[in-house]
Amino acid sequence: MEERPDNSKRDGFLPFYTNAFDRVFISAVILIGIHLLWLRFMEPALPIEVATVISLVIGYYVVRRG
Amino acid sequence: MRNPRTGWLLLSPTLIILIVFGFLPFLYVLFVGFHEWNIFAAQDGMRYNGLDNFRRLVFDVDFLNSVGLTAKFALFAIASEVVLGFFLAQMLTRNFPGKSLFRIIHTFPLMVAPIAVGAIWRLLVIPGFGPVPFLLDRWFDIEYLIGTYPDQALLTSVIMDVWHWTPFVTLTMLAGLSSIPKEPVEQAKVDGANRFQVFWYVTLPFLRPVLLTTIFIRIMDAIRTVDEVWMLAGGGPGTRFTGIYIWRVVFPRTDYGYGSSISIITLYLTIVLCWLLFIGISGQGKDEVE
Repeated sequence: MEERPDNSKRDGFLPFYTNAFDRVFISAVILIGIHLLWLRFMEPALPIEVATVISLVIGYYVVRRG
Repeated sequence: MRNPRTGWLLLSPTLIILIVFGFLPFLYVLFVGFHEWNIFAAQDGMRYNGLDNFRRLVFDVDFLNSVGLTAKFALFAIASEVVLGFFLAQMLTRNFPGKSLFRIIHTFPLMVAPIAVGAIWRLLVIPGFGPVPFLLDRWFDIEYLIGTYPDQALLTSVIMDVWHWTPFVTLTMLAGLSSIPKEPVEQAKVDGANRFQVFWYVTLPFLRPVLLTTIFIRIMDAIRTVDEVWMLAGGGPGTRFTGIYIWRVVFPRTDYGYGSSISIITLYLTIVLCWLLFIGISGQGKDEVE
């Protein structure tokens, strides 16, 4: 039933094969999610810029190695 | 026809329409979401306020409750519709007396506008007038007041949605079931598979794309439900879904900036939910592909 994904898809650390768009999309989802959670739970202790840095690092890692 | 320029030329009307009516309004809502904009406020026009709308949103108990209520509504409604739709589609693959008539009557709710569906159900359940509260009280001694009891209002909304949208699920499932080749099913039966095994290992994998598409469409519809539920209960307890909450913020309160930020986050939640479901159901995982 299942077909092996085409060559544009990469076998990274994510539990499924991804192309470049998938990885950018996942990074954007993570970026928004981290910022919302940060606003709710972490902002009194640490500024939102920390969330931006963390999500950019994670996003970079997902795009390069995902 | 193999010239890529011809392809782009043919696609261009659709792309232009998509950009003008889909992408640009989205960008505008995103832009407004980062502004304070209330036509009854002291200052004129929009004022950039950074993440303040989103900061307000994550602490807004009414919004968070509306998300939970919408999730509950979507879960119960879609699960019921998929199960019922599948059984009805299975039934319609067989021949029985009055099948054509049943098929026509069964698809009637699809032709009714959501606002009319809400009005019909309102007339059915309105206390002191509708037959449902009267009969429930008379036969089972149940006090049925959707304006007072949130659980009853939610249950009625779910039943109304199931009544309205199960025919759609049935039709898509029927299309999916009709496209399944007979050979794998017969081979499985010859190999000694029982009815459940045939369903689980043959029918369901073939139905997967149809099931996925149907669930996606229904999730998106359920999350943005406003009109029929508004008509039914007027946004009373148990029916304060996200769509109704956005409507309240944007129209009666004219808080466009905050309403836009809620819309963006609702879109975000819808996309994430659909994407997770896609990964889960479509078999994109490495274990399933290999």
